[in-house]
Amino acid sequence: MSGIPQHVRRKVWFRQFLLQACWNYEGMQNVGFAYSILPALRDRYEGRPEEFSRALKRHLEFFNTHPAMAAVILGSTIRLEERVAEGTVDPRAVGTFKVGMMGSLGAIGDSYFWGALKPMASVAGAILAFVHPLLGIAMLLFLYNSSHMALRFRGFAAGMGGEESAVRFLKEAGFTGKTEDRKMIAAILSGAYGGVVASQTAHLFGGAWPELGVFLVAALAVHLFTVFFRKAVSPSEVLVLLFLVGALILWQ
Amino acid sequence: MVWSFLLAAAWGGICYLDRTAAFQVMLHRPLVVASVTGAIFGNFTAGAQVGAVLELLYIVRLPVGASIPPDDTGAAIFGGAAAATASSSIGLDPGSFTAILLLSVGCAELGKYADRLVRRVNGRIAHLTVERVEGGDFLAVENGLMAGFVLFGVIGMALTLLFSGLGVFAAGSLLTRFGPESHFQFSVLLPTIPLLGAAAVFSCSRTDRTSPVFYLTMGCVFAAIFFFRWLG
Repeated sequence: MSGIPQHVRRKVWFRQFLLQACWNYEGMQNVGFAYSILPALRDRYEGRPEEFSRALKRHLEFFNTHPAMAAVILGSTIRLEERVAEGTVDPRAVGTFKVGMMGSLGAIGDSYFWGALKPMASVAGAILAFVHPLLGIAMLLFLYNSSHMALRFRGFAAGMGGEESAVRFLKEAGFTGKTEDRKMIAAILSGAYGGVVASQTAHLFGGAWPELGVFLVAALAVHLFTVFFRKAVSPSEVLVLLFLVGALILWQ
Repeated sequence: MVWSFLLAAAWGGICYLDRTAAFQVMLHRPLVVASVTGAIFGNFTAGAQVGAVLELLYIVRLPVGASIPPDDTGAAIFGGAAAATASSSIGLDPGSFTAILLLSVGCAELGKYADRLVRRVNGRIAHLTVERVEGGDFLAVENGLMAGFVLFGVIGMALTLLFSGLGVFAAGSLLTRFGPESHFQFSVLLPTIPLLGAAAVFSCSRTDRTSPVFYLTMGCVFAAIFFFRWLG
């Protein structure tokens, strides 16, 4: 059980939201991580300035992971630092642990949050905004943050239980399955969104066959855009192309 | 109008902080940003309409590692301000609406370069922080972090002033060139932009399992709407 007082834990938990406040190309989230863990280090190394200085420098080394997943690493690192302060763990273990965790958790977090949860929440919000914009905004914020905040809270608590507790938490969280599920929901919702847009356009033409033709053109357009995206074409480039088409070809 | 710009700058500063430096609670998403910016400039619904389309456009670009995606927050500030101003002056016809979405690309790209610049300056701040900690100044970590935080916020406010100003300017002088009286038929392009958004989400979620599901859902929703319209 961790000996870090509750008010210090609370401080660290709130500070994790500023992990990227000094994001830079060299150390990436290094200053943010050091800032977040600082209250715990002050508590553990009180009256030992030399050791405190060494501990702080350890956390100013390169660090980069997904910001929400950092909660797990932060909690576990505090636990490790406690044991370093007690003299039961080699200080080098802290750096090794962070390096080992940040890459894999970064990949899991990017895939889950940026690749699945955010698109799902965004498309749900965009669809509901057809009904009422406030409903769309509320849905977007709720879908994303219910998962995001739960991970920040539970991940940090699991990390504070030690490395084994953190690993157990990550295993039980089942990110692979959750990512697949969110991607499936995002695909269904974006398909529905595409169907609504296609039908609104088709309605302008009237008649079953022209409408079917419009649907096929819309499906082909979506397919073409996905091919562009797979070839690393930026959405900005596609929009500039559309602008040029509008300005040069559609000139009357 | 001055109060609108000041309010927009404060709101934009919060959104830009949420984008990278702090929180990441999705206040910076275009649907949220454009709606509130629209409300600040007089028309919440017009801003939300632009935001709902912009929401999906850039989602395919992920902020992974050192890569910086286009600044969809900036595009939404421009779009929200332009749509709200246009709707209360020249009117927001499909041609002008399409033009707003297409013109917002410039803001998205400019914002990306500004973000890169901030991160470079932060590199200098981080370097100084490490040097001062090595010299025994333990408050340097808190000061360094606050310097980065303030930099993100101030640049965000400056970008918001620029983009909302461009949006109001575009609504007054540019959009009249894209409306129904103009030579441009931009409204023809309008359906392609939400489809680009649908494709962006689909590209993010694309796996062997999701590909057939996407097209099947698109077909089913289209058929269902067609059927109910046919029923009257």
